[in-house]
Amino acid sequence: MSEGAKTKIIKVDYLARVEGEGGLYLKIHDGKLEDVQLKIFEPPRFFEGFLRGRKYSEASDITARICGICPAAYQMSAVHAMENAFEVSVDGPLRELRRLLYCGEWISSHTLHVYMLHAPDFLGYESAVHMAKDHQADVERGLQLKKIGGEIMSFIGGREIHPVNVRVGGFYKVPTKREMQGFRATIERARDAALETVNWVSTFDFPEFEQDYTFVSMQHPDEYPMNEGRIVSNRGLNITAANYDDHFEEIHVKRSNALHCVMKEGGQSYHVGPLARYALNFDRFPAHIQDVAKQAGLGKVERNPFRSIIVRSIEVLYACEEVLRIIDDYQEPEQPFVKITPKAATGYAATEAPRGILYHRYKMDEKGDILDANIIPPTSQNQKMIEDDLWKFVPQYLNQPDETLRWHAEQAIRNYDPCISCATHFLKLDVERS
Amino acid sequence: MRAKTLVIGIGNRFRGDDALGCILADRIQMLALPDVEVMTHSGEPASLIDLWQDRGCVILVDAVSSCAEAGTIHYIDMQKRGLPDSFRSYSTHAFGIAEAIEFARVLNKLPPKIVFYGIEGKSFAATEILSPEITAALEDAEKRIIEDIKETCDA
Repeated sequence: MSEGAKTKIIKVDYLARVEGEGGLYLKIHDGKLEDVQLKIFEPPRFFEGFLRGRKYSEASDITARICGICPAAYQMSAVHAMENAFEVSVDGPLRELRRLLYCGEWISSHTLHVYMLHAPDFLGYESAVHMAKDHQADVERGLQLKKIGGEIMSFIGGREIHPVNVRVGGFYKVPTKREMQGFRATIERARDAALETVNWVSTFDFPEFEQDYTFVSMQHPDEYPMNEGRIVSNRGLNITAANYDDHFEEIHVKRSNALHCVMKEGGQSYHVGPLARYALNFDRFPAHIQDVAKQAGLGKVERNPFRSIIVRSIEVLYACEEVLRIIDDYQEPEQPFVKITPKAATGYAATEAPRGILYHRYKMDEKGDILDANIIPPTSQNQKMIEDDLWKFVPQYLNQPDETLRWHAEQAIRNYDPCISCATHFLKLDVERS
Repeated sequence: MRAKTLVIGIGNRFRGDDALGCILADRIQMLALPDVEVMTHSGEPASLIDLWQDRGCVILVDAVSSCAEAGTIHYIDMQKRGLPDSFRSYSTHAFGIAEAIEFARVLNKLPPKIVFYGIEGKSFAATEILSPEITAALEDAEKRIIEDIKETCDA
């Protein structure tokens, strides 16, 4: 850190508790914020490039490797896009098992963020390990809840990280009804822990900060969205995944190896993830979950991104209850997958990864070989939104010490649980004062 | 009843030298040592901590990348110290062994004896073939782990 009469520069090599490598640059001139740049310098990974020439059936396992935290999301978007291309519908128990896998991922990923990455911000600790010294029972609850999320993924997907049981049309192997029932007691414990989590995080102190976000998420007529639905916004957007490219575009900015996403009409940022899902689908929650949300201090729409930790906790609670419902309703399917006949076609899909909409598009030839692919993860879509938050949130701290400024800026970034490894397909902080 | 000693091999069998934790676990399991359980594991912290409970001795075996010479065997008594930063993952989302140990330490859930064998890898490319230096180090590592089980864990 250096400080002169007119210039002040703060450099922090890496922001902590975000996934991947990136940095933040803040330029402050005469006490005013002049520039905000979210820099993502993790190298590009070219997944779309090496999908070309591979079989349609390989996309789900290849793209799962983009992320070790949300591999099931990549698998789900990939298989849905292929099924969209080949005009196949997967219903009944197979559809439910996919939802079960997604629930496991939401529980595991959200719990990791809530307890290990985000809660230390609110309680004033450097890390979850430091926090554990004073909050032993809370941390143990978080560890157990995350573990159960992983166990659900292993149960359905064959293993927790990069599941191996997902295929276009369904699964390679499906569980028996008895095996499903064997899980019930564990999930009941998880549900109790999830409710305690909501109660715990709702007691945190949150900065006063709201934005009039353009929320974008999936919406399904009958359920809180995970695998299926239309893409909607609070500004009237209502499209299928096949029309995604007509309404959103990716822009390359010099400072980032991840593309920025904006809405084509107006070129503005938009917000995907738990806050958007919640705002656009609150009425899809069962009444008692809505009550828990209200008791935790949430309205039907939450515009304070710092309170996303409560929304994530509500989604974990909902996911636990969905797992119990799916277990109770489960009937073993006659076949573990629906037969696929490839053809020359383009397929589109969006599903709700823990961090928001994950869009996949694939063009195949008549043999089902991939000619072209496009993958747009939620962190790419939220990148510009994060910068926009910082433009509005940081100025109130400009007169405070650099360390305080840095703490608040990092916390604002972590509101989005950014996954930079996905987006490059994060964080170094430079503050320049002049 | 749980075996007194637990040997855990950690790694990815399809990522070159990262497989060595699993390979060493396989080799030790073949010996069928009394009161010794052997397994491979993804490194998920909460389940690791659960597995350590009611054990007298836990031996963790993993590949590391710390700029040392390939095949170097690092030995750390985890009761005395944590994993050095150079062994830690850069991914802050991927909570793993280092975090499991530190959580267990804070939560008073470390077993009485817990040691870490880190073998310096050379290549972590997508292959099932080990680097020659690692293949050469396997026998020595296995011998040291077995001696450790007999001398330390059985004591």
